[in-house]
Amino acid sequence: MSAALSSEVTADLRTIVGDQWVITDPVRLLAYESDGLTAYRRPPGAVVLPADTDEVSQVMARLAHAEVPVVPRGAGTGLSGGALAGSDAVILATPRMNRIVHVDPENRLALLQPGVINADLTEAARPHGLYYAPDPSSQSACTIGGNVAENAGGPHCLKYGVTSRYVTGLTVVLYDGEVLRLGGLGRDSAGYDLTGVFIGSEGCFGIATEIEVRLLPIPQATRTLLAMFDRLEDAGEAVSAIVARGLLPAALEIIDRETIQAVEASIFAAGYPVDVEAALVIEFDGIEAGLDFEAEEAEGCCWEKGAREVRRARSERERLGLWKGRKNAFGAFGRVAPDLLVQDATVPRTRLPEVLRAISEIGHRYGLRLANVFHAGDGNLHPNILFDRTDEDELARVEQASREIMAVCVAAGGTITGEHGVGLDKRGYMRLVHSRDVLEVMRATKKAFDPWGGMNPGKVLP
Amino acid sequence: MNSPGVALADALSGQRDLLLTCVHCGLCLPACPTYVRLHDENDSPRGRLYLMRAVVEGRIDPAAEAFQTHIDRCLGCRACEPVCPAGVEYGTLLEHARAVAVTARPRPWFIRTLLGVFQRPGRTRTVMRLSRWLRASGLAGLGAWVFPRRWHTLRMGLAMLSASGGGKLRRLGRRRRAALPEAPVGPPDAYSALLDTDEEDELRPARVGLLSGCVQAGLFERVNDATGRVLKANGFAAVTPSAQGCCGALHGHAGDLEGARALARVNIAAFEGADVETVVVNAAGCGAAMKGYAQLLADDAEFATRAAAMTEKIVDISEILVRYGMRQGASVPARVTYDAPCHLLHAQGVAEAPLEMLRSIPQLELVELNGSAECCGGAGLYGITQGELGGAIGSDKVDAILETKAEAVATGNPGCMMHIGAWLRFRGARIETIHPVELVDESYRRGGLY
Repeated sequence: MSAALSSEVTADLRTIVGDQWVITDPVRLLAYESDGLTAYRRPPGAVVLPADTDEVSQVMARLAHAEVPVVPRGAGTGLSGGALAGSDAVILATPRMNRIVHVDPENRLALLQPGVINADLTEAARPHGLYYAPDPSSQSACTIGGNVAENAGGPHCLKYGVTSRYVTGLTVVLYDGEVLRLGGLGRDSAGYDLTGVFIGSEGCFGIATEIEVRLLPIPQATRTLLAMFDRLEDAGEAVSAIVARGLLPAALEIIDRETIQAVEASIFAAGYPVDVEAALVIEFDGIEAGLDFEAEEAEGCCWEKGAREVRRARSERERLGLWKGRKNAFGAFGRVAPDLLVQDATVPRTRLPEVLRAISEIGHRYGLRLANVFHAGDGNLHPNILFDRTDEDELARVEQASREIMAVCVAAGGTITGEHGVGLDKRGYMRLVHSRDVLEVMRATKKAFDPWGGMNPGKVLP
Repeated sequence: MNSPGVALADALSGQRDLLLTCVHCGLCLPACPTYVRLHDENDSPRGRLYLMRAVVEGRIDPAAEAFQTHIDRCLGCRACEPVCPAGVEYGTLLEHARAVAVTARPRPWFIRTLLGVFQRPGRTRTVMRLSRWLRASGLAGLGAWVFPRRWHTLRMGLAMLSASGGGKLRRLGRRRRAALPEAPVGPPDAYSALLDTDEEDELRPARVGLLSGCVQAGLFERVNDATGRVLKANGFAAVTPSAQGCCGALHGHAGDLEGARALARVNIAAFEGADVETVVVNAAGCGAAMKGYAQLLADDAEFATRAAAMTEKIVDISEILVRYGMRQGASVPARVTYDAPCHLLHAQGVAEAPLEMLRSIPQLELVELNGSAECCGGAGLYGITQGELGGAIGSDKVDAILETKAEAVATGNPGCMMHIGAWLRFRGARIETIHPVELVDESYRRGGLY
């Protein structure tokens, strides 16, 4: 595999997609040398931007013939280095495939191309009283194709579940250009659930060129609470108490002091108090009746666990403000440090307090600034390590601390990724969580879709 | 690395901290009109920042075709700034990047000539006189009509000139006028505060400075006159110091930072001489540039403090009227839509004031414009220099305007008025392009306020 990219190949790509949709100028390739995780940087051999399934199929067949690997890329907002290709490989980017083919309100389905932006789908469904539930924090920019590849989650996945629950059919192009149609029309087809297998395959099986998703009716009403704590662990315990009480919030998010300060210094300042150790965002949605009861119960749990203050969003505007602050937290760290590494481990919810303590201890030991902003209800942690990549000593400490954080999470019965994917960043941790046999089954599954090994090589599997 | 590279390293290295605030999250991509249309990450804010950073790090030469093209192709609309969680000061970085891009490769002659013209008030006046003659004689309109599309620069320039001619305000809403009862006209001292602000108690300035501008004074004198009348009707005496000149926005955007600084110094001195605490600007691009004087002259020992003081004084015409409240005029029962100038909405963060100002006009039917927050493609000289892309963006804007079925589109910036006006003409649409303050002025005129 991996012959060098020849000019004949790129010339053929230009013939297939049109001259302007192939990028080979080394200066222009720099923009594609990293995704949302800048710790990894490698410019691709070329970038190709096809318009539809047919062009993707032709491009892939040509690249397979030349034995050139392919890496799919949506908006490049990923946080595991999954959309990176080496100089011997080609990035197949999907932004031109941004058409919503149709929204079918009767069947509550939508058919779309992979380059459609997550938030745009919800916008298109809104006139029908519908929306698309998975809401990654980057939803204003990330693409559905990328969401399928990473099996993306988001704050509201606590109640609604992740991407796999909403994708009902796929058109997939394999490395040799073959086009497969999996599932469709809102239900699984007979036989093995290949749609389910494909979701979360991180671009290693093929590329989805048409995606059918299920839409949900927009909830009638919401209640959003903001509880402030003087100890991060107390916030973690409040989360467990809320779930133990049998409540099912749509979202339970914890934002720590460092994050609050970054957000409040940004243009998305939402009025989070900057002197608390943790803020817990609790949201309930559904039919109006009963919401107040749930909100009061949750509030009770917060007081019980030592909350300093509990506020309620008094208007939709205030609610959206709170969410804007939460969803822009990652970018807001740019004000604090030039680089950041966001981890994505999941632990059993009940172990949150102790794991948080251990993570903070690791940060102290390595002299690193850590910020926590995470989907507490799912036990999905996102410790952000703030650093400057030009400081090599610091970079080394970041890698070491990162590894220790992972080990702590796994030891607590957790796993190495909640929603960002394994990509390049967490390949090394795969053996921490999977047995040799499981990895063999994964390898065999990969082979079933990509026997040539041309799709996104060097990712996911150790 | 050759000398332009060193120059950029110098120009941009001072901005290294600004560059490093970008964490590459990608949230700016969908906000960028060029990325949305070209789909190349190099034509996104994140991609352009990465190119700038690559120059600072010495990885690429600023004379490289790719750097030149992608930096050039930025509209400078700054729609990326309000969506950036890290608060990257993109506009400032772009101007520095442009400064080095032009050092590495000079601009085409006509851009240099044009910037040179605006550098000197005398030259500006001469060129404006000639332009008005071309406009009044109908030659501009004729040229835009007869010249072939491949002569884009000339054709677009003439079309924009022709479009600057002004709308038939007196005819607006005439058909519906008789059917509706006249709303009462507000008494001279009845300034109704339109927005709840903390400044209600603040003293209403009796005297304000007014920027005449270069293009505004030369081609949009009627807008300046309307601004003066509306200010006066609301109790503000407007003074226009004769020593003032072009604000320097075009120079800054084109990378001629020294030219921009020289003009900024002239204006600062001119308005200091006028002894006013508030300077009213009716052109969004100029307002944004003047609110940026503090940053532009931050390293100027003599002017840094004065520039900062000047920045504090700048307000858009809509801001001052809405902040202190404004009188009500007679009804203008026209169907009007509003296009937000990027340099008002994104660069100055003024979103509501122009809309409030328009809503204050009795019986004016204000229809929402789809994509009002997106650039019209005019972007200073962009509509002329980047014909194809500027045209595509302008054409989308016209589609949205036609969809509203409005009689007029209001927008508070001469560049936008001319670019939108030119594209409306190319499409044969009979829709007036006007400044929002012209509508207020017309409402006052109909109400007999003057």
